[in-house]
Order: sequence, then structure tokens, then C-alpha cells
Amino acid sequence: MKFSRSKVKYWMTKLLWRHIVGILVAAFALFPLVWMISAAFDVTGQLSTQKLIPTFSGFDNFQSLFSNTEKPYTTWVRNSLVIATAAALLQTSIGALAAYSLSRHKFRGRRVTLTTILIVQMFPQLLAATTLFLIINSLGQTFDFLGLGHQLPLILIFGGAALGVNTWILKSFFDTIPSEIDEAAKIDGASHALIFMKIIVPLATPIFVVIFLLSFIGILNEYLITSVILGLDGPSMTIAVGLQQFIYGSYAKNWGPFTAGALLATTPVLILFIFLQKYLISGLVSGSTKG
Amino acid sequence: MRFSLFSRRNLLFALTGIFSSVLALAGFSLLADSSWFLGIFFIVSALLTIRIYWAKSNIHAKYIFPGVALLVLFHIYPAIYSGQVAFTNDSNGHQLSKSQAIDAILEDSRIPVESQSPVKYQLATRISDGEIFAIFRFPGLNLVAGNSNQMMLIGGSQTVINSDGLVKSAKGFKILQPNEYTLHAEQIQSLEVRLGSSQVLIPDDFDYLTLYRPGRTYSEARDEILDIATGVAYHPNQNGQMANSSGEVLYPGWKANVGFRNFTSIISNEEVRRPLLAVVAWTFINAFLIVTLSFLMGLVLALIFNFPALRSKRIYRTIFITPLAIPSVLSILVWAGLFQTSNGVINRLFHSEIPWLTDATWARIAIVLVEIWISFPYMFLITTGAIQAIPGEILEAASIDGASHYKSFRLIKLPLVIRTVAPLLVASSAMALNNFGVIYLLTGGGPSLANSNGNAGATDILISYTYKLAFNSQEGNNYGLASALSILNFIMVGLMSIYGLRRIKTMEGVN
Repeated sequence: MKFSRSKVKYWMTKLLWRHIVGILVAAFALFPLVWMISAAFDVTGQLSTQKLIPTFSGFDNFQSLFSNTEKPYTTWVRNSLVIATAAALLQTSIGALAAYSLSRHKFRGRRVTLTTILIVQMFPQLLAATTLFLIINSLGQTFDFLGLGHQLPLILIFGGAALGVNTWILKSFFDTIPSEIDEAAKIDGASHALIFMKIIVPLATPIFVVIFLLSFIGILNEYLITSVILGLDGPSMTIAVGLQQFIYGSYAKNWGPFTAGALLATTPVLILFIFLQKYLISGLVSGSTKG
Repeated sequence: MRFSLFSRRNLLFALTGIFSSVLALAGFSLLADSSWFLGIFFIVSALLTIRIYWAKSNIHAKYIFPGVALLVLFHIYPAIYSGQVAFTNDSNGHQLSKSQAIDAILEDSRIPVESQSPVKYQLATRISDGEIFAIFRFPGLNLVAGNSNQMMLIGGSQTVINSDGLVKSAKGFKILQPNEYTLHAEQIQSLEVRLGSSQVLIPDDFDYLTLYRPGRTYSEARDEILDIATGVAYHPNQNGQMANSSGEVLYPGWKANVGFRNFTSIISNEEVRRPLLAVVAWTFINAFLIVTLSFLMGLVLALIFNFPALRSKRIYRTIFITPLAIPSVLSILVWAGLFQTSNGVINRLFHSEIPWLTDATWARIAIVLVEIWISFPYMFLITTGAIQAIPGEILEAASIDGASHYKSFRLIKLPLVIRTVAPLLVASSAMALNNFGVIYLLTGGGPSLANSNGNAGATDILISYTYKLAFNSQEGNNYGLASALSILNFIMVGLMSIYGLRRIKTMEGVN
């Protein structure tokens, strides 16, 4: 009896307030998501009159999202998936190659290379948008498939983006793989390519998942350069560019289909994020624990 | 060693060989279309591919080359290109080349010749090449077909004239009927017929041509435009415009090099400086608020939830980091909807009528709130990591020595955490200075600043203001000034990042 009273007291003083803080912060963190879900199932399609518990309308918003031929949501999803998957793969592999070399090969100007890659990408690509438009435009004059409105040039543009950050995170991970392993392999006659493919890549799979997923989310989020290169024709847009069309203008704000589309786009990313949480956190935090 | 045709090495030779041939071919086709930079880029890449992958030395180059190639094409070249724009006056009214601008000025100066009444004409296409011609007859002269390039006589036996004096058919030409005009709208719009060196016939409508004479002439030798009626001479000025001695200018101007004027105007030009000062101030305040507030929130949460007896801390952690997993374009737009003034969800929740997004102060608060929402999870994660990395013995030793919870926090945990996360905070600050997305999607930089006579808004940071300068026609599409500002922005953020990077141990080679 006495034991359990002290347990209650412990719970009251040490844990209760922690739960209260936790619930408040959770409410803040989930705030827009909750309203997104509620508006997606609501009948009014207006966030302004929205109640927390929606006036359930079934799947009307989803139906109108999928039946809108001017704003083809499924095509946007496909475009986004193609672009984000290909560009994230490209980003991860290019970053991995550079990071392997920066981590393992001794050559002059190693530090300068890494710093330069990082600093160069601090130039706002927003303003380079005009130049990128001109580059892709003149490429398209000669090779149609590399021109405006095509996905390949956009994939190449994003493939080189974030190279600095990715290389940096990957390098700090490769650095933690003991170099004795690959030195032993080298003595056994393994080439640098073999060491990379058979030793480094398998050991670094978790960090590749992290980089891939972070790049993937980053590309899903991009809308400015995407809209400059792909244009604003219905079928060529991505989710980020396309969904905004539902709530452009002050009169035609159509929150119902917008939130429905946003919810559908968010759910898979959220699920992946929760399942791969452990890896993702280790990637995000890398650098902070090795001061 | 046994020779094998399909050895790895030969395969690599073949693949890179094919790849670089494709690159080189592409490069030559681009050169043929006079895309000079791209052509040279492709050919140089082809040569480098061979040089790097067929050699046995410089192994590191084999791994770094693909990234560097993409970096040069899509980052360095655009950066240099926009950098060079910073030294021009490229903006609305200054986008033509000098000769285009002079042509436009001369065209604008044309004066109708009143002694000559309008001339009846018909539109026709030349059958051989589809070019558009005007067919007409000057009173008392022969029937001719002409456009801006040439003029020819078409009278004679093979031309059939209707009773109303119009041409029915002419050899080599097809007379256009009104319903065919839209097919050739673009060519018809630019149709004009040159007569001699200075006079020109321009269509008034689809029936009549009017004769014009030039009001000004241009002399290439003296680089001077002369007004024929008044005799006033105009010469090029420093700003890429034709100006007379009393400073009156002719429009349009052209794109001219202005040296450092865009940079000096930031200091010397009151109209540029006033809104810019406000924007720069808010850029720094905004970045400071985001980083400190979200760091503090993350730190406090890390301290509270790094508590072993709290069994549900995993669940809390998962919930806290959801903002990282929602594509931020979408979540920011949802926030924008929630912040609506009349009946907005947030105002109804607090029974208030706060003009979020339309009042300067409240809009800034809304921006900071959303930015904290986006960045506190990251701060929570890195501070948790840093706290967990503190060796337990140190804290134990402190508590044996009688240090209170507060003292061990202030004297041991806090300094250690700050020391480890400081470089990441610098990196976050650099990113916060360029945090375009939230501003652009939530408030668009608005509401407008009262005294900025332009579009600078209360929540505009340097990058969003620069974006407006360049891409908003109300601001005159001032690419020159925008590029100058982005160079300054780049230097500012770059210096900060270099400072941050110097303090990161990962940069110092193999551990």
C-alpha cells in the first residue's frame, strides 16, 4: 500500500506534467494535419466554416478530385513519382560516388572540393530560374526530349541539386566505416570500384535510404523551378504545382479537393517516415553527436 | 594474364567511349544551332570523360566528375550568368539590344504624309514561299506587290482585274480572302512596304495603306539620332538610352553595362534603400527568431522527454516529428487557410478577430509560428542526440559533488549541447536567411510596407523581395538590381556557412 502510494506520488510529480506538455506539443505538431483530414471529408469545401469533426460527406471531395479533367490529379501523382524517384536516385548515387572518394582517397584539394560544392549551392537557384529556363529552352531547340515541358531535363537539374549537403552527410557516414576493412580488401587485390560496390555500399545502405527519402521529399516540395521548366499545362504539372491551382484566387478557393489531394499525397510519405524513423533520425542528427 | 575481350576494363573503355561519342555528337549539333556555351560544355565533357575514365591515375576524379559536371551546368553557369546581369541595367524598358532599341525609336517617330491619301490594297501570298505581300497601285502608276523585303511589278497580260479595279488573280500570287486572314495574322500584323530609303507604307486596316515619313533619323557614324523637324540631336547616355543635351530621353532604352551602379544605388538611391533596409532588418530578425525559438523549444522538449521512466516517450517523439514528414508546400498552404481572418479556424478557436496575414505585426507572428512548426522537430532531434551523447560519468560525478539539477544543467549539459550543435545552428541560420517557401506561400511577402512606394512587404525577406524585383512586372522586372542583391545575399550566407563549416570536425578528413 505504501509502495503504491509513493508510486502515485512519483507519477504525479515526475510524469503527469510531462504528459501534459507532451499532449500540448502534440496538438501543435498535428494541428494542420488534423484539419487537413477533417476538411478532406467535409461537405462544405471551405476551411473557414470547417468544424473539427467534419460534416461527413463520404468521399465527395476525393471523387471530384479524381473526376476533374482539367486538373488531372492522377497524372500529377505519376509525374511527381517519376521525377522525384529518378532525381532522388540520381542525387543519392552521385553524392555517394563523390563522398566515397572524399572519404577514402587521399588527394590534394579534398577539403576545398567539399567546401566549394557546399558553398556554390548557396547561390539562390530561384534567381537562376531564368537562366535555367534559357538553358533548357536552347537544349530543346536541338534535342526535343531535353526541352521545356519534358521531365528529363528537370530530373537532371534536381539530380545535381543538394549535392553538397548529401555528400557531406554521406562522407561523415563513410568515415565511420573502419578503413581497415577496405585496406585489407585492397591487399587482397580488390579494385577501388569493387571496394565501393562490395564493402561500402552494403554497409551504408541505411544512410542511402535516408538520403533518398530526404531528397525525394525535397523534390516533391519544389514548385518554382518545376513550374518554370514544365509549364502550367494541366497534364505536365506535379502535385506541388498542381494542387495550388485549387486554392488560387480569392473567389474559387476549393479547399475540399485540395485537402483531399494533399492528404493522399501526405499519407504514403508519412507512413514511410514513421517506419524508417530510426534511420532518418540518425541521418538528420549526423554531425551533432560527433563534436 | 589471359586476354579477354569482355574483361571489365574493356567493357569500361567501350561504355565510356560510346557515352562520350554521344556527348560529343550532341555538342556538335548544339554548336550547329549556335548554342555556344552548351555545345562547348558537351564537347569538353566528352573529352574529360575519356581523359578521366581511360586513365589509371587520379582515381578520385572518376568519382567526383559526374557531380561536378551537373554542378557546372546547373549551378555555376547560371550563377555566373545571373552574376553578370548584376552589372547591367536589365529591366523593363531595357531588355532590347542597342540596334533593336534604335529601330524601335525610329519606328515610333514616323509621321503620316498628309498630302498622300491612303492607298487601296489587297493581301496576297506568294505561291512559291508563302510570303505575304500587299498588292496596290499608286495613283497613275503600275500595279506592284511589295513587303518589307522587296517590291516587284506585277502588271501585264497574266494579271486579271475585276470591274471594280481590284485584282482577281496575278501570276505567282494567291489573293487572300478575308476568311483566310487569321491564318496569317502574325505576318499581316508586321506587314509594311518600304519606298526608297525612308518612306514606308503601313496598313491602316485590311483595305488601305498610309504613307509615312520618318520623324527621326539615325546616323551610325556619329551614333546619333536626329529629330528632322526640330534638329535636336540625341546621343547615348550612361543608362543605355538616347538623350538630348537637356537630358530628355527617347524610349525604349537598351540593355547596357552600368558597372557597379546597381550596387552603389543600394546605398545612394533613397527609393532603393528605404524598402531594402526594412527588408534586410526583417530578414535577420526573422532568421534569429526562427533559430533561437525553435532551438529553445527543441532543447526544452529534449530535456523533458529524455526521461527514462517515461514509457511513452517514443510515441511522443514520433508525433513531434510529423511536421518533417508532411510535404511543406501542402502544410504551409493549409496553415494559410487556417489563418484566415473571418471565420478562420484559429480565430474561431480563440474567439478572436485577429487579422493574421493582413496586418504587418500579426503576419510576422504568423510567419514565425509556422516556421517554428516546421523547424522545431529538427532542433528536438539534434538536441536529444547531443544530450544522449554526454557521458553519464560526468553527470554522476557532478551529482556526487552535490550539484543541483539546475546547476548540472547550466554548467554541464547546456555548454556541452551548445558546443556540439553550434555548427548545425549556424547552418540552420544560413538556411533561415533564405527561407523562401514559407514567406511566398503564406503571405507572399505582404502586407505592403506603408512607405515603400513599391511592392516590398512587411514579411518580405531578402530573397522573396529579390524574387519580386525580378519577376514582378509592377516592380519593373529589375533583373539587374535583383542579381546584385542575390550576389550580396550569396556572399552573406556563404560567409556564414564557411564560418560554420570551419567548426565542424567532419570536415577534417578521416576520423
